[in-house]
Amino acid sequence: MSKVLIVDDTAFMRKLLKNILFGAGFDIAGEAENGKQAVEMYKGLKPDVVTMDVVMPEMTGIDALKQIKTHDKDAKVVMCTAIGQENIVKTAIKLGARGYIIKPFQAPKVIEEIKKVIGE
Amino acid sequence: MTEKVHLRAPIKTYDGGWVDVELVVTDNNLVMGKRNIPLKEIEDLEDVEVEGASCIQIKKEDKIILKLPPNLHQQVFKFIAFNLKADKFAVFFLESATVGGVVSSGAQWEKGYFSVTDEGFWFLSARNQKRIPIENLGSVKTDLRNVGGKQRKVLVLSHVEKSNVVTSLVLCPESTLEMLEGYLQRLFEKHKPAITLSEDEMQILTLIYSGLDFASIENIAGMSTDELNTYYDRLVDSGLAKVVKIRKEIELTPHGVSMVDKISKR
Repeated sequence: MSKVLIVDDTAFMRKLLKNILFGAGFDIAGEAENGKQAVEMYKGLKPDVVTMDVVMPEMTGIDALKQIKTHDKDAKVVMCTAIGQENIVKTAIKLGARGYIIKPFQAPKVIEEIKKVIGE
Repeated sequence: MTEKVHLRAPIKTYDGGWVDVELVVTDNNLVMGKRNIPLKEIEDLEDVEVEGASCIQIKKEDKIILKLPPNLHQQVFKFIAFNLKADKFAVFFLESATVGGVVSSGAQWEKGYFSVTDEGFWFLSARNQKRIPIENLGSVKTDLRNVGGKQRKVLVLSHVEKSNVVTSLVLCPESTLEMLEGYLQRLFEKHKPAITLSEDEMQILTLIYSGLDFASIENIAGMSTDELNTYYDRLVDSGLAKVVKIRKEIELTPHGVSMVDKISKR
């Protein structure tokens, strides 16, 4: 069973993603509420995939992505962006993000993207 | 002066049952038997399905359903779309530039018309006649976008299509652009549901959009069934949601319990 680390600064969004992913059969490795926490948790938990929000306090999703990729070049990170943030997606893909999901989330699209990134 | 007849065809109209009639399409009118419908009095037009058949629905005070031979359906639809009662502006448009935030690879700029009716707006070109009902409009704004290598001011319309947020762009002279923005803003304000949502309601709305069922939302929102039902009622009453299914929660009577007892001993 694939383990997912959920990174988002709002508890509501974390709960929502947790529910969608758990319902689809994924294990939730952990939840981080900012980029800094995400980097630490990634090192400790070694999840199969990370869902990474972009706009967060302390450390943004883009900076956390950079640090995670520096630590593990094979890390599978999926960015969570809002409609209209196409430029951020482009930047993240250049930095090694494997995919992206758009807020507001739609469960089938989230599951499809995570499965695609994991290679199921 | 007699009008040019563009098309004459046997069709059916629906009035509780199908009625055979001849349709005559002229420059300015649709004539069906004794009924004459001036094109400039048609307020709205839609593709609809009636009793499994693809039909054209026109609105002029009442709604009129036309079932045409399949080879004429699109031709008549296009003719009415270009000629109905609307304000029409010559524009370039990029319909469905993004779908669900993802850039549509197939979308391309088209030369045509942006047509505004009381019910919504249309993208009209030789190959595309797309109607967007006003209730599907999410936002209207102007923005700078790269068009043909140049930064141009465009009208950005976000609208909902099959549960996806879609963005379409309109390019035209700046004075027309500003006039359209103002007009659509007013139309949007007039039609938008008059409701201010609480934080809880916004979260519940987001959860519903995400496709979660009642039980999951109860769980995430930490609410009782009655509390969530109250929120659902408010969202439905305000026009932000509609009821698609009513579930039943039941418990077994003593007869039911003894039946289960028997089943387990089979």
